[in-house]
Amino acid sequence: MDKKFISRGVSRTSIGNFGLWISPWALMLVVGLYAVMLCLFKGLNQTNMDNRFAFGLWIYLDLTVIALGAGAFFTGFLLYILKRKELKAVINSAVVIGFICYSGAVGVLMVDVGQPLRAWFTFWHPNVHSMLTEVTFCITCYLMVLAIEYVPVILKNRKIKHVSSMLVFEHELHKLIVVFAAVGTFLSFFHQGSLGGLYGVLIGRPFAFRPALGIWPTTFFLFIISAAAVGPSFILLTTALVSKITGKKLVKPEVYQLLGKISGSILIVYVLLKAIDTLIWINSTSPSLGFSAASFYKFSGFGTWIMFAEIVLCGLVPALMLLNQNIRQQFRWLITAALLACTGIVINRFVMTIQTLALPTLPFDAYMSYVPSWQEVATFLAVLAYGMLVYSFSFRYLTLFPQERELQSL
Amino acid sequence: MESNEKKPRYGMVIDLDRCNGCGNCTLACAVENNVPPAHENANERTGITWMRVQKVDNNRPYPENRSVYFPLTCQQCDHHTPCESVCPQKAVEYDTETGIVAQIPVRCLGCRYCMTACPYHARYFNWWDPEWPKGMETALNPDVSTRMRGVVEKCNFCHGRLQAARAKAAVEGRRAIADAEYIPACAESCPTKAIYFGNLADAGSEVSRLAKEKNSFRLLEQLGTEPKVYFRSEQSWVHEQMNAKLKTAEKEKIHG
Amino acid sequence: MFPWVYGFAWTPGNIIFLGIFFSVVAIIGATVLISLFRTYRALQVNKTEAIRWDSEFHDLPATSRKCRHELSGEFKQRTCDNGFDCRTCATHAKLIQNKTLNSDDIELPIQLFGFTIPTDRLYHRGHTWVKSDASGIYTVGLDDFASRMVGTPDGIELPAIGSRVQVNGSAWRFKKGESVMRILSPLDGEVVAASDGSDGWYLKIKPLTKEVDTRHLLRDREVAAWFLREFEQLQEKLADPKVGLTLADGGTPVQDFVKAYPGVNWDGILGDVFLEA
Repeated sequence: MDKKFISRGVSRTSIGNFGLWISPWALMLVVGLYAVMLCLFKGLNQTNMDNRFAFGLWIYLDLTVIALGAGAFFTGFLLYILKRKELKAVINSAVVIGFICYSGAVGVLMVDVGQPLRAWFTFWHPNVHSMLTEVTFCITCYLMVLAIEYVPVILKNRKIKHVSSMLVFEHELHKLIVVFAAVGTFLSFFHQGSLGGLYGVLIGRPFAFRPALGIWPTTFFLFIISAAAVGPSFILLTTALVSKITGKKLVKPEVYQLLGKISGSILIVYVLLKAIDTLIWINSTSPSLGFSAASFYKFSGFGTWIMFAEIVLCGLVPALMLLNQNIRQQFRWLITAALLACTGIVINRFVMTIQTLALPTLPFDAYMSYVPSWQEVATFLAVLAYGMLVYSFSFRYLTLFPQERELQSL
Repeated sequence: MESNEKKPRYGMVIDLDRCNGCGNCTLACAVENNVPPAHENANERTGITWMRVQKVDNNRPYPENRSVYFPLTCQQCDHHTPCESVCPQKAVEYDTETGIVAQIPVRCLGCRYCMTACPYHARYFNWWDPEWPKGMETALNPDVSTRMRGVVEKCNFCHGRLQAARAKAAVEGRRAIADAEYIPACAESCPTKAIYFGNLADAGSEVSRLAKEKNSFRLLEQLGTEPKVYFRSEQSWVHEQMNAKLKTAEKEKIHG
Repeated sequence: MFPWVYGFAWTPGNIIFLGIFFSVVAIIGATVLISLFRTYRALQVNKTEAIRWDSEFHDLPATSRKCRHELSGEFKQRTCDNGFDCRTCATHAKLIQNKTLNSDDIELPIQLFGFTIPTDRLYHRGHTWVKSDASGIYTVGLDDFASRMVGTPDGIELPAIGSRVQVNGSAWRFKKGESVMRILSPLDGEVVAASDGSDGWYLKIKPLTKEVDTRHLLRDREVAAWFLREFEQLQEKLADPKVGLTLADGGTPVQDFVKAYPGVNWDGILGDVFLEA
């Protein structure tokens, strides 16, 4: 019954099946929105955050989804600026995922702040020296860019493109898409960096503090590089996942391999720089602030294994795997490597946000623990459900993978 | 007189050997600054105590067991004030005239970035709507505005009192206030006189003299943020415990 | 944010940061406005048909966008990037300059796997043919391949007499099963007559100019190569995936492919054949 809206030449499951697929996500969204309402109307006492653990699950997830969503800007950059035409096969999907990640993160941030109605204060009275100001400005602008990049994908819907004005607008907008790709790259560069800087500047948190290169702490640069490294891996994983769920070939194997290769070549640079940064931190930064690096790892739960897992197991290992052509050609190993790479960044963001706050600073402070409340978890699950819904509808009615039509004709 | 020539830098010296942990400072502070009674669900990590008293123990068995009480408030960092530089919307103000770091709750978004930046945990978020028992609103201090849910607040050395002292001086035709005219509620209320308050920039002041004594130290001094709250104790174990991390680190650096 | 906002100061930090911010906003805003203005202008001068084709063409699978010179063997691999409009293609101009077309050696209609391909006319990649008569009127019809595919359409929508059509714009529409397809016009001109195809033709077009540029149309030998390829592709799509490709070795193709192969994704195949994404 909705066939008129589905792109030509591709098959989609029946509307009934589609309904079955989306209803659990819709339910999850409703429960999550209830939790959001509780937080907005009753206040943040609904969370398990407190004065000592002032940032919790939400900030951690914001940092993580924004890192994983970096595939949107980086794919756009490679396709439109560096003219890697092969990536046209995934750009639409990347844009949708980027949009979901960023809009979800901004949505959660609006719940996370105590007075969301004052969000405009940051624009009105910006403290340009704060990393959070940079983040706020860049993410707002970039979300705007992502929304604009999403528009042509929507206007290409089989039914919508029959409306002449929509078709022509799509055409004209797409002709200038390189401008948005460039602006998006510029903005991403700064906000990915500032998210790293967010913790790197905290002189009061010697576990996170890093010396400045120019006006930004080293984490600024590490976050940019790591986001660029895992963005393509995340696109690879999501594409493979959608392919698995729908049982359709969506892109050619070469595209998967290319994404893996791009991811690997940046990841190896990242791992190298991260290792240097960590060594400098252990031997110079941390001791100069009066804390031996070893002292941070003596607490149960956060041993040095976490550092090993982050840098070696989920950094160096996937980087080397992705740089090996033989491994890239074996789909299973390619997926494993991409998964490890993404896990590495998920750990990194966890270490920067949660571990930093858990560790004591004052000599008589105790090690802190924090378990998110159901309202916090439900709010996050609402973002996941929202993402699933937006992506499911986009996949059904829009052309996210232009190669799908070619690949399925058999 | 010297204080009139140089900009004042208000600070505190807290004598740990005098503090008996009675908590009167916490109470006086709350009354002075309209800090609402804790919500029924609040705990020590979600309640608001601009001034809190923390017991620190040497963890030795009797009879060597010793403990001191740390009255902990905003340490008023003078240099690269961690909370001030991170606030995205200038809701934290470092007053260059007095050195006082103050929160502007009406400007605050409640993002709590300043709280993660502060190593002293001296900042408090309003997790609940402020509520006073019926009738107690009439006892609120009219010189200090109350804060709403969802914003951050902290000690500002009873800035309201400074303003009042300045206003009084202005009425009397004086440009500067005398040292004795301005004292925060905690220092004023301490029954053992453990809290000294004054102008650290005035070399002749008592706080200035005490701060320079060898028994005085600051918490996390090595971070380089120049806090303006000093602690002093004649007990060596306190010094050892407070500098423990610093010493281990230095030792490792030498060996490493 | 602005100089008149309380607390603003002209510090270098503020100037750089807000300068960059306002530049970014201005670039985003200007780009959207330019797109909107261009959209308005394109709609005013009625460039919709050309834009629609351009947009459709780039969405076609690469297999449907092979250059005619790849089909004829002059290139090993070449995908058209010019919307099949060889009139404005530099490569095409160079290639036909280098060789003289010898059309005398093909007189009779070509027979290919049961399809009849008359050589007295020119072919468009969207499976229409064009034939001019002495009065300078061009007749447009569907070729044998397309005719057999469509069989008897369930409905047909012809342009009004006197209306204009343009190369690669929509000429007429037909309905077959669940699909509504448009047929691309092979020529620019004014429609002087229209028929439902029962006489073998659909449109008669009077060109707007004396000189009619037909360089974008297939002719002579390359028609057979193109036909062969189209037929192969169709076979691939109709083949049982378990058996793989089987070449027809005789007989005549059926009259109505859509009817003859019911369980097939005809919507997609018709799109490939008639170049509609």
